[in-house]
Amino acid sequence: VAELLRVAGGRVVALVPVVFGITLLVFLLNAVALGDPARAAMGQRGDPEALERIRRDYALDRPLAVQYATWIGRLVRGDLGHSYHQQRPVIEIITERAPATLRLALAATVISIVAGIAMGALAARHPGSLVDHAVMATAVLGISTPVFWLGMMLSLVFAVTLGWLPVSGYGDGDWRHLVLPALTLGALHTGSVARMTRGSLLEVARQDYLTAARAKGLSEPVLLVKHALRNASIPVVTVIGIGLADLLVGAPLTETVFAWPGLGRLLVASVGQRDLPVVMGAVLIFALVYVVANLLVDLAYLVLDPRTRA
Amino acid sequence: VIWLARRLGAAVVVVAALTVAPIGNTQEVPKSGGMLRAVFNTDPPTLDPAQATDLTSAAVIRQVFDGLLELDERLRPLGALAAHWTVSTDQRVYTFRLRSGVRFHTGREVRAADVKYSFERAARGKRPWVFEKITGARDVIGGRTGDIAGIRVVDDLTVEIRLDRPFAPFLSLMAYDATSVVPREEADKRGATFASHPVGTGAFRFVSWRRDDQLVLERFPEHFRGPAALDRVVFRIIPAEITRFNEYRAGQLDLTDIPTGQCQSAQRDPQLRGEVAMWPTLGTHAVRFNVERPPFNDVRVRRAIAHAIDPSIIVDRLLERCVTSARGILPPALPGYHPETRRLALDRELSRRLLAEAGHPGGRGLGTLAFHFNTGDANQRIAELLQAQLKEIGIALELRRLDWAAHIKLVDEGGAGFFRQSWIADYPDPENFLTVLFHSRNVGPPGNTSRYRNPKVDRLLDEADAMTAGRARDTRYHEAEQIIIDEAVWVSLYHYSSRALVKPYVKGLERSPQSTAPEFLAPLRKVWLDR
Repeated sequence: VAELLRVAGGRVVALVPVVFGITLLVFLLNAVALGDPARAAMGQRGDPEALERIRRDYALDRPLAVQYATWIGRLVRGDLGHSYHQQRPVIEIITERAPATLRLALAATVISIVAGIAMGALAARHPGSLVDHAVMATAVLGISTPVFWLGMMLSLVFAVTLGWLPVSGYGDGDWRHLVLPALTLGALHTGSVARMTRGSLLEVARQDYLTAARAKGLSEPVLLVKHALRNASIPVVTVIGIGLADLLVGAPLTETVFAWPGLGRLLVASVGQRDLPVVMGAVLIFALVYVVANLLVDLAYLVLDPRTRA
Repeated sequence: VIWLARRLGAAVVVVAALTVAPIGNTQEVPKSGGMLRAVFNTDPPTLDPAQATDLTSAAVIRQVFDGLLELDERLRPLGALAAHWTVSTDQRVYTFRLRSGVRFHTGREVRAADVKYSFERAARGKRPWVFEKITGARDVIGGRTGDIAGIRVVDDLTVEIRLDRPFAPFLSLMAYDATSVVPREEADKRGATFASHPVGTGAFRFVSWRRDDQLVLERFPEHFRGPAALDRVVFRIIPAEITRFNEYRAGQLDLTDIPTGQCQSAQRDPQLRGEVAMWPTLGTHAVRFNVERPPFNDVRVRRAIAHAIDPSIIVDRLLERCVTSARGILPPALPGYHPETRRLALDRELSRRLLAEAGHPGGRGLGTLAFHFNTGDANQRIAELLQAQLKEIGIALELRRLDWAAHIKLVDEGGAGFFRQSWIADYPDPENFLTVLFHSRNVGPPGNTSRYRNPKVDRLLDEADAMTAGRARDTRYHEAEQIIIDEAVWVSLYHYSSRALVKPYVKGLERSPQSTAPEFLAPLRKVWLDR
């Protein structure tokens, strides 16, 4: 445990410059991107005097370095600033949206892990068979199908035609609203997990210790779960960790198709409105999720493979 | 009921508050109760009338708040909070008498001081141009004072508004949602959060808003016109048009817009065709030139391009004849539209001659011209059609696509020579198109992004803006519009129309030219459900 804490602590310290770098990059990208938040807020008709006033209100008349330093200064105190567009604290806006995205990402991750590992194990059990080909073809289909298209198709079949599930919306947290978006987002990643599980299991299956275990008379399920999967899981864990990034990339599209009120839609809309404080806040959250996911992957290595603790 | 009166030697127009327009079919008796399930394609940025600049916010604001006036389905001003009003003979002083006993959702009665407060507050907001004609308003807009000298509270129920100069569309402005009346104590107490907890006098009061999901209003039983028929209105927020369409087909929405490219198929669909509603609205899709930037500073080059563009392909094929082909700048549904306005006809031989006269035979010497447009499927396809059409006269177009924020900044600053920019009327008057878009005092962000300066056009517009509605005013606008078209300052492609699906049991939904799907700015107090 002490070893784990030491490694985790080191990783967390290493994250600080990463997060700082990400915020600086996003800020600079916003600064060089065309578009004026004050003008974007004024619709089709801009009044020069009002534009100047709004720029002052948004502190856009200050030098870029001052704007960034102010933002960092506030961040240290836990303040992400105020949205230009919604005129309320960014932290409040993000806190409102985060639960929806979290629910969706967790459900999608569970689907991708359970379905992906099951598919991979099934394919690895009969390598080269029809089942193997069918499962792997499905996996490739899942990876390569555009999220938007898959979402629309699922919605058309299960919501519009069959009427089993709602077409879209959050539905006050009703689980039925979660099913189609989670399946859509989960499908993106299920294929990768399935392919990696199959590859790893086949690799492990050739190891001597499995032959020995089999010779000792262990049943195939016990062999698979207790011996093969544990050792095959290291590369799979990597894929799951990286897959979180895929989920973040896929979230805005899934949230758009299913009108899901999450962070992805917020980020896309805020970029369009040049609502810099919200963009910075949302990117910061995404970045944190990404680096924390990587940290968890690293820690999982330590648990799964004692050799990495050296 | 409208009548004219002469009093004390001054021509005074007194307009009595009209009774509420009939709800739905006059043969049918409205049923009370039920919930209307409407939809937006984006989350309203704000519910504060002082901060809103978009149709989605306006659609909610119009239900929650009232202004002094409102426009009926035929775009005529009617009394809302104002019971009646008078206009001085010099057309500069408007005196509004408020209805007595009108209450905010908090229960407090509306007073004339609320009107003054609301206007001064909104003048410091995001649509200050609504108030700029009022004497002293520019000082408030510029932040030099908080008091608009031209607004005087005469007594608890009377407010007088003085203009710098006569401005004929002023009554239309008083029906604009930016002029909604808010209760001072609530706006002051809530500050910025008033935008998410609005309090007005409207037929519906605010209940809840989960951002990017849904917004709920409920009937305000003490509305001065009597309670609305609907118990509740739920606005779902669904960004993808195909998802809105699917929700409608699944019976989860009572009204929505028709997805792009499905206008004709919806009309042929046996289930949907009885639910399709289309009506013209007050918008024009156009491509514009920055007349200061070479080669577009040469009218012959602009005219050559205008004569080479065939909008019928865009209207007939791309937009399935569900919009109206444009002759000029003003849409036909706009009061003051002149049917004799003529566009520069499609004549590619003439285009080639004009290019040769300008020193660019066959397009030589022009190089590749940039065409700027903002992201959007239809915009992309229109740009590609323009590219193909101009190629026929030897002009090569490079298509440059930006998102709206970047596009408007580039256009405002004069960085684009040839660009797409449409216009949707803020209020139904030719001034809102022609003066805003082509008067030399509005060059740049205020609207004249073509940077067009023509003293004759300025004079015609100034004269017309100050005149009362009528033939003489319309003639001046028409003359100015034709000059602008002939000088090819911009090339109109088509006028917008609202394309909606409305369930047969939804009654009383106004199809005003200012009401567009999916926002539907129509007053929902008139809507009822027949089921």
